[in-house]
Amino acid sequence: MLNYNHTIKEEKSFQGLQMNEVKPVMKLIVRGKKREFLSAIGKSLNMVLPTKANTSTQSEKLTALWLSPDEWMIFSNGVIKENTNSYETETLLNKNISKLNLGAVVDVTDQFVRINLKGDKIYDLFQTGSPFNFNDFKGKIGSVTQTILAKIDVIIHNQNKNEVNLFVRRSFSEHLFAWMNDSASRL
Amino acid sequence: MFLINCPFCGEREQSEFKAGGEAHIIRPKQPTELSDDEWAEYLFMRKNIKGVQFERWNHVHGCRKWFNMVRDTSNDQIKAVYKMGEKPPVKKNV
Repeated sequence: MLNYNHTIKEEKSFQGLQMNEVKPVMKLIVRGKKREFLSAIGKSLNMVLPTKANTSTQSEKLTALWLSPDEWMIFSNGVIKENTNSYETETLLNKNISKLNLGAVVDVTDQFVRINLKGDKIYDLFQTGSPFNFNDFKGKIGSVTQTILAKIDVIIHNQNKNEVNLFVRRSFSEHLFAWMNDSASRL
Repeated sequence: MFLINCPFCGEREQSEFKAGGEAHIIRPKQPTELSDDEWAEYLFMRKNIKGVQFERWNHVHGCRKWFNMVRDTSNDQIKAVYKMGEKPPVKKNV
């Protein structure tokens, strides 16, 4: 992460809802179809990729989100060092996946912004701008969905009860955060 | 607004999807031997029937996968959804 011009500069807090950006966080997109690809990832990271739709898996340091039958996002649970843009996990996967032609590994650390939402009003906020039915999502910790929020593509990950990670493309993040503020102020 | 059952993600709202036109159009094996009219027929001409139609759809704001759908264009009823490469249902049965 070498981009210091963060678009989201403050934490916002409302009754029953807190929002802030978690940064810097390593994010990778991995793609592949072969069985060897899945087992190579499993061996390299010591965690299995979720193969069931709309789910995620977690290890001590990393979380893997299901995005599509051949696409996953891996991100670091905690924050990483700010002054570097080379990551251990990426180097490891490049060696074990890309170099062996098993699949693709792309660093999307600077493309996506991770916003953490906490509180019991999260889904009331989402309801105001998303066509997705969150009823089942709410109850299952680890659920993942890609959907639209205020006409913006987002990835939403149910991290814990009343705690959600939201990934949005950097260029949309400022607008989305402003929209969420506005919407949350009227909940 | 209606719900579409994406074969990968499950039931989602229609605004997450994009229609991709008629399905099961076969590319001619020898394009160089076709006349311009025949080539234009393959490239541009699509049926737009009122009734049961086979279509391609893309879950563009979700998993970004293409799939096929059998839809009645007169009342937007979805008769069947199946993945790319799978055998389409027989029209009479849907």
